[in-house]
Amino acid sequence: MRRLIVILLLVSVAVLPVMATGAPEVADNTIHVALSAPITGDWSEYGVNFQRSVEMAIEKINADGGVLGGRTFRLSVGDTKGNPQESATLAQKWTSDDSIVAEIGAFSSSSSMAAQPIYDAAGMVQLSPTASHSDYAKGSPWSFGIVGTQAGEGPFNAAFAYNDLGIRKIAVLHLNNDWGIDTAKYFSEAFERLGGQVTGTEFYFDGESDFTAVLTKLKDSDADGLFIASFYNDGAAINIQRDRLNWDVTVLGPTSLYSPQLTALGGDSVEGLFTATGFFAEDPDPRVREYVETFTAKYGSPPNFHAALAYDAMMLLADAIERAGSTDRQAIRDALAQTADFPGLAGTITFTERGDANKGYSKLTIENGRFIRY
Amino acid sequence: MFLQQLVNGITQGSLFALLAISFAIVYGTLRLVNFATGSIYMIGAFFGWMVVKFVIPNLFLAIFAGALAGFVTGFILERFAFRALRGVARIASLICTIGFSWFLNEAMTVLFGAERKSMPSFYSDTAFVLGDVGVSWLQVILVVVAVVVLVSLQILIYRTRIGLAIRAVSLDFKTAGLMGIPIDRVISFTFSLAGAMAGIAGVLASAYYNAIFPYMGNIAGLKSFSAAVFGGLTSIPGAIIGGYLLGLIENFGVQVISAGYRDIIGFVILVIFLLVRPRGLLGRKSG
Repeated sequence: MRRLIVILLLVSVAVLPVMATGAPEVADNTIHVALSAPITGDWSEYGVNFQRSVEMAIEKINADGGVLGGRTFRLSVGDTKGNPQESATLAQKWTSDDSIVAEIGAFSSSSSMAAQPIYDAAGMVQLSPTASHSDYAKGSPWSFGIVGTQAGEGPFNAAFAYNDLGIRKIAVLHLNNDWGIDTAKYFSEAFERLGGQVTGTEFYFDGESDFTAVLTKLKDSDADGLFIASFYNDGAAINIQRDRLNWDVTVLGPTSLYSPQLTALGGDSVEGLFTATGFFAEDPDPRVREYVETFTAKYGSPPNFHAALAYDAMMLLADAIERAGSTDRQAIRDALAQTADFPGLAGTITFTERGDANKGYSKLTIENGRFIRY
Repeated sequence: MFLQQLVNGITQGSLFALLAISFAIVYGTLRLVNFATGSIYMIGAFFGWMVVKFVIPNLFLAIFAGALAGFVTGFILERFAFRALRGVARIASLICTIGFSWFLNEAMTVLFGAERKSMPSFYSDTAFVLGDVGVSWLQVILVVVAVVVLVSLQILIYRTRIGLAIRAVSLDFKTAGLMGIPIDRVISFTFSLAGAMAGIAGVLASAYYNAIFPYMGNIAGLKSFSAAVFGGLTSIPGAIIGGYLLGLIENFGVQVISAGYRDIIGFVILVIFLLVRPRGLLGRKSG
């Protein structure tokens, strides 16, 4: 009896996946694209906004008559949980599905780069709205990034700190992953080229909640500015603890800090913080206004920079498919690589030979709990 | 900056000490490492947060709620997961604590989502100034609560009947049973007490770091476990000393070397210490 149960269990384990993959194939005229994003987890705010924006873009494209003479889009969404392994697993799933023509994602550079070899081997476009590590796009001819790299953003932030804010000695604190290391490196190099001095560089691991020791050490380095290469959640925690240590210093951070959650979590401690963005929700441009108003009406909160980039990614993909004149994976890649002066909401997009975009940014600061233009 | 890191270290050490005791009580009575301790710490933090968010923003009520939640979780854990396994195979109980820990983490992720929630600041005004270092009321409260809990625990164990029973069970639970001590109830109480300690530590940590998320207990649990091992694992005073030492070592380690190596510093010192003195600071001689 017991042996029978064991055998039955083993058989069901072997059979279930086969049954699960036997989902009916939709044999229609739609174009199938995939999205990998951190729908749950610490970066869920970004991931959920990815999904919302891409769905909004698809609704708009489909309502305007689709591409290639009336073909509409449909979307499959996968959750990376912010975890590179999950992202790679999703890449296996998407590339093995012949109906999928291209993928949008992932959110972080680490997740995008973990999935990169799989898209490269399968020959499918991987279009990340936000991966900004300088090794990402050049790693494969199939990989594209539209956010601009840290090699472009670093000098912008450094000039902001040195020229506009008058900081001469700066301390740097960064998240210890692909993105954080790169962000700190390009910022520091550019800041020193301008004549500034980096008084200390420290890093922390993802999931850390105690920043008091490291902030005490950086405070001791006698800096008149603090650059934090972090996301909004760590950014808020760092500022709360900095405030508690009575360290009164000018704080500056990259575009990753621009989120309403930063002010919600950080409260008074993030007042007067400086950051940059490629997309500003209060921009008077009518296309931005239409997007922001539709998004806000639909989801109850305004979109952030990363949400706008996801919208741009989907619009750009549709544009490339139209230009390619087909849904062949290779044709889409070639058309995408030719992209020049594509008018995105978060800046125009022209791909470099490596597959990343050079972009402009605007300067922001926080006043009375709101982001305003500096 | 010596003073500032000292204050940081003592505050963090108080949290470690509370959690290390939670490990030490359970190990002392059952010879079982409860790897779900970090998750009970997280449960305590969530209940404290719920009280603050939905009932009344009072830190002391939140601490009480966290202690209660930890007590109940400890009770349930013992009643449903360990009683059946007691005396069968210690390794099964150990795996069971790991399983329970994952269950709690994932359950809270499903219920509340994995993103961080913010705990409002309490008592962030400066209480007194030490050299050039401002110490906030919250830090004072944190250390005082930890010390009060630690002292009352010592009184409970050495001055009361239930404490006597706990000590008897910890020496030899079979013999204690033959002497008429209701070992099921004593063990159940011990587990719940350890849960309450972890719950209190969770609320204090969430108030100190202003952040709550389902995996907050993983690293805290591991570090406190090593603090307990440092102190000898069976000894409550040892666990307290181990907790404060770890807090201080980590913070001064950051100052001297680098923040990225803070975990390594603590663990390297632990390993070296155990090589020299395997039974820990105040541990009982085995055999």
